[in-house]
Amino acid sequence: MAQDQATWLRVVQRAERAVGSHVETFVKSDIYFDLLAQTTRAHRRLLQATETLSREWLHAWNLPASSDVRRLREQLSRVERTLAEVAKEVADRAEDGVPPKPEEPQ
Amino acid sequence: MTSVLNPLNVVARINRDVERSLLRARNGVRYATTKANVGATPRDVVWRRDRAELWRYRSATPIRYQPPVVIVHSLVSRSYILDLRPGSSAVEFLLGRGHDVYMLDWGVADERDAENTLATYVDEYLPRAVAAARRESDADEVTLAGYCLGGTFASLYSAGPDAPVRNLILMASPVDYSAMGAMIAAVREGRLNPDELVDESGNVPADALYSGFFMLAPTKQVAQYATLLENLWNDEFVEGYQAMSQWSRDHVPFPGAALREVVEELVRRNALMTGRVRVGARTVDLGDVRANVLNAFADKDNVVPPEAAEPATTVIGRPERREELRLPGGHVTFATGRVAFNHTLPALSDWIVAHSTELDPPKER
Repeated sequence: MAQDQATWLRVVQRAERAVGSHVETFVKSDIYFDLLAQTTRAHRRLLQATETLSREWLHAWNLPASSDVRRLREQLSRVERTLAEVAKEVADRAEDGVPPKPEEPQ
Repeated sequence: MTSVLNPLNVVARINRDVERSLLRARNGVRYATTKANVGATPRDVVWRRDRAELWRYRSATPIRYQPPVVIVHSLVSRSYILDLRPGSSAVEFLLGRGHDVYMLDWGVADERDAENTLATYVDEYLPRAVAAARRESDADEVTLAGYCLGGTFASLYSAGPDAPVRNLILMASPVDYSAMGAMIAAVREGRLNPDELVDESGNVPADALYSGFFMLAPTKQVAQYATLLENLWNDEFVEGYQAMSQWSRDHVPFPGAALREVVEELVRRNALMTGRVRVGARTVDLGDVRANVLNAFADKDNVVPPEAAEPATTVIGRPERREELRLPGGHVTFATGRVAFNHTLPALSDWIVAHSTELDPPKER
């Protein structure tokens, strides 16, 4: 039984190599990367087209679309990044023993 | 022949096969329903900034050598590859040899990290993490060990004028991007554009990175699953397989701005080969690395081929302080497998010991 299993495993491994070596040659070829680039671009264009359509429809009903949520998330990220920069500056100053700048009089 | 037909042998084999079938069923259910116990070595977070963290590992073995070893992980994958599972962990091995081990983990990048550049990692995170390690270990210097792209960051940092790095170890760290294979060639020639890989978060999604690695050998998984099925009765094999397959699928998003810079500077300009790399507003000269340099790479690495890693020996650091270690195995020869524990890790540890100071008496952790 064990010998049978080892045999089936050897067969699978040989078959995988026989097919795999050709597949690996293909996925390293220029044709594959050109296809990949074209597929990626086509996928993006399709997504954009779908998004434009659904956005118009959703906006007609005064509903937010995924692109609105994305824009909000981008804005939030920018605010978070700015806050993080300020927090890091304060932490670095504290670490270096530099007192924080005095507040400007109002 | 007679022994095969011996009724006692036949009964013994039937018994064994029934037992293995039961174990296969049990381990199959376990494999499908549980996650591997990865990154299990106890540790403390000693420094944190944004998503980056520096971990110091705990161990019952006293510290026998200084400076401490700070592992700088790659930006692409999870750092637990170097602490895969109890009994099969590079970190655990180094702790057992008496090294004081830290791991600089970059965390999981999100929208807030999309504008991180090479300078963010080399000039902002690394100096602070190294300072924290020195403070924790009460050491003047460190041994920096960079894995894959982490080796590039470690090299660029070590070339700074005040970098307190006594030893620099590069583990499968790419230098010559013209030898990095077909995908990098497609990026270099402009057939693949980095902006097309970035999603709405501003980062390259983890799935895209996984696909990139998967496509290096797309049919390999069939043979791997067949081997798993054959060995499913073996607890040790299943645990190792589960941890490794979990890691190989578990990538992290790559910050978009860093990707653009890597593509322009490292891939298209192949700047590491020239020895001069732009990081932020300055130009780093890799010849300025004053540390002892060990360039370790693997013979059968299909992620960072030896031809891409080997030139580090002629580019980084001072000629009299450079050494090379060509290892058997693939990209994970630094982390797991028989070769790692019988050959790679002992060799790395021996090199670190030879370039470190022995503490007498050893220091309790």
